[in-house]
Amino acid sequence: MHLKFIQPCLAVLILTFFVSTLQAQTGNTITGYILSAKDKSPIPGATIQPGGRNAMVITDDKGRFALTVPDTLSGITIKHEGYVTQSIRINNNDSPLYILMEENVNVLGDVTVSTGYEIIPKERVTGSFTQVNNKQLNEQAGSNIINRLKGVASSVLFDNSESRPSLTIRGISTYEGPSAPLIVVDNFPYDGDINNINPNDVESITLLKDAAAASIWGTRAGNGVIVITTKKGSLNQPFSIQLNAGVTLINKPGLSYLPQMSSSDFIDVESYLFNQGFYNENTYNHAALSPVVELLIKKRDGLITPADADAQINALKQVDVRNDFDKYIYRAGFNQQYAVNISGGGNTAGYYLSAGYDKNVNELDAGYSRIHIQSQTVLKPMRNLQVNASLGYTNSMNEAGRPGYGEITTITGNALYPYAQLADAKGNPLPLIKDYRETFVDTAGEGHFLDWHYYPLQDYTHVNATTGTADILANIAIEYKIVKGLTASLQYAYERQQVTGKTLYDAESYYARDLVNQFTQIDYGSGAVYYPVPKGSILDLSDNLLLSNNVRAQLNYGYRNNKNELHILAGWETRQSHTTGNSYRTYGYDDDVLSFTNVDLVNPYTSYITGFGSYIPSGNSFSDNLNRFVSVYGNGAYTFNDRYVLTGSIRKDASNLFGVNSNDKGIPLWSAGAGWTVSKEPFYHSSLVPSLKLRFSYGYSGNADLSRSAVTTLSYISNARYTNLTYANITQFANPDLGWEITKIINTGVDVGFKNGIAGGSIDYYIKQGSNLFGPAPLDQTTGLQRATITKNVADMLAHGVDVDMYIKPLDRRFKWNIHLLFSYNLGKVTNYFLEDSNGADYVGNFGIAPVKGKPVFSLMSFKWAGLSHDTGDPQGYVDGKVSTDYDAIFNGGTKLTDLDYNGPSVPPYFGALHNGFSWKNFELDINITYRFGYYFRKSSTNYSALFYGWYGNKDYADRWQKPGDEAHTNVPSFLYPDNYNRDNFYINSSALVEKADNIRLEYINLNYTINKASLKQLPLQNLRLYCYINNAGILWRANKDGLDPDYPSSLKPGANFTFGLTATF
Amino acid sequence: MKLKIILYGGILVIITCSACKKYLDAKSNKSLVIATKISDYQALLDNNTIMNRVSPSNGEGSADNYYLNYSDWDALYNDAYKNIYVWGDEITYDLFPNDWGQAYDQVYFCNNVLEGLDVIQKDSSNANEWDNAEGSAFFFRANAFLKLVLTWANAYDSATAGKEPGIPLRLNTDFNEVSVRATIQDCYNQVLNDAEQAVNLLPVNALFATRPSKAAAYGLIARTCLAMRNYTRAGLYADSCLQLNHTLIDYNTLNTAASYPIAIFNAEMIFYAGAFGAELSNSIANIDTVLLASYSDSDLRKTIFFKDRGNGTFGFKGSYNGNNSLFTGIAVDEMYLIRAECYARENNAASALNDLNTLLQNRWKKGTYIPYETNDAQQALNRVLEERRKELPFRDLRWMDLKRLNKEPGRQVTITRLLNGAVYTLPPNDPRYALPIPATVIELTGMQQNPR
Repeated sequence: MHLKFIQPCLAVLILTFFVSTLQAQTGNTITGYILSAKDKSPIPGATIQPGGRNAMVITDDKGRFALTVPDTLSGITIKHEGYVTQSIRINNNDSPLYILMEENVNVLGDVTVSTGYEIIPKERVTGSFTQVNNKQLNEQAGSNIINRLKGVASSVLFDNSESRPSLTIRGISTYEGPSAPLIVVDNFPYDGDINNINPNDVESITLLKDAAAASIWGTRAGNGVIVITTKKGSLNQPFSIQLNAGVTLINKPGLSYLPQMSSSDFIDVESYLFNQGFYNENTYNHAALSPVVELLIKKRDGLITPADADAQINALKQVDVRNDFDKYIYRAGFNQQYAVNISGGGNTAGYYLSAGYDKNVNELDAGYSRIHIQSQTVLKPMRNLQVNASLGYTNSMNEAGRPGYGEITTITGNALYPYAQLADAKGNPLPLIKDYRETFVDTAGEGHFLDWHYYPLQDYTHVNATTGTADILANIAIEYKIVKGLTASLQYAYERQQVTGKTLYDAESYYARDLVNQFTQIDYGSGAVYYPVPKGSILDLSDNLLLSNNVRAQLNYGYRNNKNELHILAGWETRQSHTTGNSYRTYGYDDDVLSFTNVDLVNPYTSYITGFGSYIPSGNSFSDNLNRFVSVYGNGAYTFNDRYVLTGSIRKDASNLFGVNSNDKGIPLWSAGAGWTVSKEPFYHSSLVPSLKLRFSYGYSGNADLSRSAVTTLSYISNARYTNLTYANITQFANPDLGWEITKIINTGVDVGFKNGIAGGSIDYYIKQGSNLFGPAPLDQTTGLQRATITKNVADMLAHGVDVDMYIKPLDRRFKWNIHLLFSYNLGKVTNYFLEDSNGADYVGNFGIAPVKGKPVFSLMSFKWAGLSHDTGDPQGYVDGKVSTDYDAIFNGGTKLTDLDYNGPSVPPYFGALHNGFSWKNFELDINITYRFGYYFRKSSTNYSALFYGWYGNKDYADRWQKPGDEAHTNVPSFLYPDNYNRDNFYINSSALVEKADNIRLEYINLNYTINKASLKQLPLQNLRLYCYINNAGILWRANKDGLDPDYPSSLKPGANFTFGLTATF
Repeated sequence: MKLKIILYGGILVIITCSACKKYLDAKSNKSLVIATKISDYQALLDNNTIMNRVSPSNGEGSADNYYLNYSDWDALYNDAYKNIYVWGDEITYDLFPNDWGQAYDQVYFCNNVLEGLDVIQKDSSNANEWDNAEGSAFFFRANAFLKLVLTWANAYDSATAGKEPGIPLRLNTDFNEVSVRATIQDCYNQVLNDAEQAVNLLPVNALFATRPSKAAAYGLIARTCLAMRNYTRAGLYADSCLQLNHTLIDYNTLNTAASYPIAIFNAEMIFYAGAFGAELSNSIANIDTVLLASYSDSDLRKTIFFKDRGNGTFGFKGSYNGNNSLFTGIAVDEMYLIRAECYARENNAASALNDLNTLLQNRWKKGTYIPYETNDAQQALNRVLEERRKELPFRDLRWMDLKRLNKEPGRQVTITRLLNGAVYTLPPNDPRYALPIPATVIELTGMQQNPR
């Protein structure tokens, strides 16, 4: 165990001890359990309200509650959506109480939602929230809590593409601004690595989707908010221990899926090119030639016999590098996850302590380990005062693994040739051609150089790259009840995350040897050799520190009489997040004796490779970023007659990122909402739909770009012409009007519950309008900014969407069957974007966003395809409406934007999940099927320029047009030498390669077996759950006929994984 | 007790909020250098690529010191250059960067400096640096505004200057403000105002000619007043300038065979500025034949300024920058000529000719120059103006002279261009003397375009 780890560990233990001794027997507290009348299972989230008072408590996940009450109290009211509300008389001797609740037909799901500023009961909700409870979160394994939202929350879309945001809620709402939702952990925005959060400590996640839900978060809520609530200590609960242990086995990825060109075809192309004199054997940088080309050169030069050369080449034709990757590089991944927590509480203090350990080894042998400990304490030293304190510590370590397929490239970016051999027949590592020609590597420097070969199977063992993260997250919240109904609270959160990177290229590593060799200076006259980069290891260290401080002061006021209920909160908060970093490099480092060598970074040395003077890379850098926010906010809800609800929220942010005008004059972001519980009206008497609520909300939230600064900045340049003075240029132009992007959302929803709770759920329809979005705005040259455009808040977009979250219980007897259906529709279109250019070629590639007015933000645009020509197999497009092979014209202005095919959106507008849960006796089976419809993707294919120059081949080369008539059954253009870059790129970006991406996927299957003390008296523990999960199980149906996974059209698909584990509660 | 808590809490919130502004002024990324010191602002002003080397040449391009062959004109790679030559009706002035924008780049730099120095306390320890930076910013801004108003507005006429549109006067760094054209009167007032501030702040001598000095500021005011035809004042300021620097180069010391005989930062140069123009490139711009013919063979300028291409055409090689860029800054010779002109206009022929003869003695071959003598101030003025034309070609001064002299009956000139049989003429006081403002600027701001 790390020493670093022990210290905070002790701190937590001491704190807990200190907290426990604070417990004193004061106050009148009643405790109890709220259980289901049907099966005695605990009911978490029920509210307990003392008669005639506003204060209320909520039961924890074990159905427990504790309530401090005055002696005069005679009764309490217990409420939970889905159960009949009860009011019971109590006397103080009854504690602990066991209260059974009858199920209600009015089922609406979870009863409270947390916005990070308050917890509100669902009756008061007018906005759009999605609550993901503990059970749903635990249906998937893994160290990252956010990934567990996959397939369990409507409107959440995960995307693998590198050019698009990886996670969106209700679609994208920005072009150039940040697109990630705001993540809130225990009431404060979380700046650290999300992997610092142990999923086992997470109680629930709430997604804030519309303005009424999110606008309380102001300028950072435009992309939605993910509120993570961790498990808390609570008062008056018995001592309990919970253990969780699970192991996950991850299948090796199937390399045969990769569309790699066959070695035989590849070699045939190389031989052809060689005969055409394509290869430059004398480049200034000795650029690598492939082994086959080297053999052909030797054959030509008579260095080996033609028979030998042909025999060797023919042997290489049989080699497939994927086999070596499969055999020597990839392995099954193995993850372990262990967690334990202890909780309990008395009258004045409660605690929750947890520890977790994760150890993951992925399919490339990269390691990840994490230790997490967490302490949550609640104190109630006085009747009116409550203190919640939490302290979490995470220490994790990432260790780099082996190079995966596609990660080995030459210095010029060429791919690995398909007939590469990583090991010989006996498994001994073989060198690969990497950066320089074999003949150069073998002979350079007359023996003065270090071995210049690259051995892929050995090299990773000589590069030790680790990233360690140590994170402390501390929270303290003090809540003081001033007078009846009025509570003041003060919260403080602190985070310190230190990320330490260390990469040690030892003396044997290719990186170190290559650098030493490049700089080696040989005086051939005297034979003197000098190594400016000393032989030995190279050590790169980096250190990044994040310090974040948050302070919040808030007043809550609640009032209730017979017909009216009012809740108001107002607060002020400030937050600062300060990131500093540095990195540096040491040469000639010896890890055993910690010695090193200083090198000359100042003078250029002639590179042995290029012959140019070059400087030894220093690797030194510093960074320092500071973000500050000051905000005021308010929120109110008024309920009349239990059925009419009006809500409002307002917030004003100022920040050192915004321009002064935005800070001074900017209007606050606000929202308003209304709710009407129709089913509570006296006139409403539907027995089929006994629960019906309508919601409407309207408002604004924002999106701030933390990388944009609102000040004018300079860069210094040395040695001005004529004067030799140091002078400055302006690199960034202060825009006093620079503000945040604004997202306006109109949301309307209905919540229904059918007879006997057989079905229910909610449907939301929303309109989301982004304005003030960052975009390039043309600039009047009179402003003198030396540029034609500048980023301003100028662009607009408009999205419509539907979220459906329904459940059905077809069977609810001994055998239970639950269906949970998620359906989301989201399509956002560009309504305004400056500088739209009309050249079609600028829209077809994968260059990020090139918005087209009236089309989705992420659209697939392609050249129109007219098939292959009958005579030559040339790909044909259109110029001026006529079939054409004038590729230069197609690229350079001959194709207008309006001449392109709009294939469709490249992210699914329709997506969701169908979750089936079955339970019988102690068994429970969950099957989650996800679906995505209505979108398109582009297949990879043969690109001759990429093949000739970059060694990137595609297996469909075998299907290329070879003779007239082939065009009837193939779209792959004929082989053409010399290559035509525009011809290739026309084909690659044409509609010929676009496929429907629709698919249905088996996301996961879970099997649980649970026994508890109630069913098995002799069980030595309260509850035991055994589980088995299968994740990433595979595609059930896809629209494309090529067997492609649209999420991974040309790269490796992750393998299925299997998890086995148990959870025990004592 | 509870009341107290609320009270103290309230006070705390108020104190914190009032500290907010400073709190939020912190820079968000430290590697971004934010100008905070006088030296930062001086460094901006020392960026001579922006502040000196590129200044407008479009006026010179429109003027009559040169002509182009049709083939060279036709080969100009942008219609904007072609249109400058023929005072084009069609506005295709969409080049980026262009003269207009580059002059305003200087203005933006100056405004940054002026705004920045506003918040730096000036005291005895930094007064020199502070004054120099502030004065330089005022000078550079005045210089840029003058170039702009001379090129993109009508000639100054005190009768109409209060009504006619000048150029936008951008006086702060907020680029969100829409540019609006000020009146010509306001523009000249601003130039004079800025330049006078510069006079008060700048040191007598600058370390480099790239930096403004008191002499440069006097010279700038003299030039401005000349453009306004306020000859009394122009003469006074030219005199002030010459008090500080009146050294003339004896052209007999120059090597006429050199490709650029006059070296940069020579004794006459008071303030350095350069300009380029594709249509003015000395490989295609042919010296106007009338101008060329006006030089005596004993006049060294004929061989020092002009390169005989051997085919009957001549190119310009007399830039004070010692290279192919045009010198558009301020030099001693111009000051002599301003003072001489102003003397002549005040009927002081003797003083006028004294200045003129002093200048020309340094321009002619040793011993060949016979001082010009007359008592007729009008004749003296004619002679001064003639020599002004011959002394200052390709200094971006001819356009200004054409404009102001067109206001004087008897000195009006009609310029003609011949291209492939087509004849273009620019009569005196034609509206086209105000060049077209870049079309994108008109589009984005809605400001009034100059009529063609």
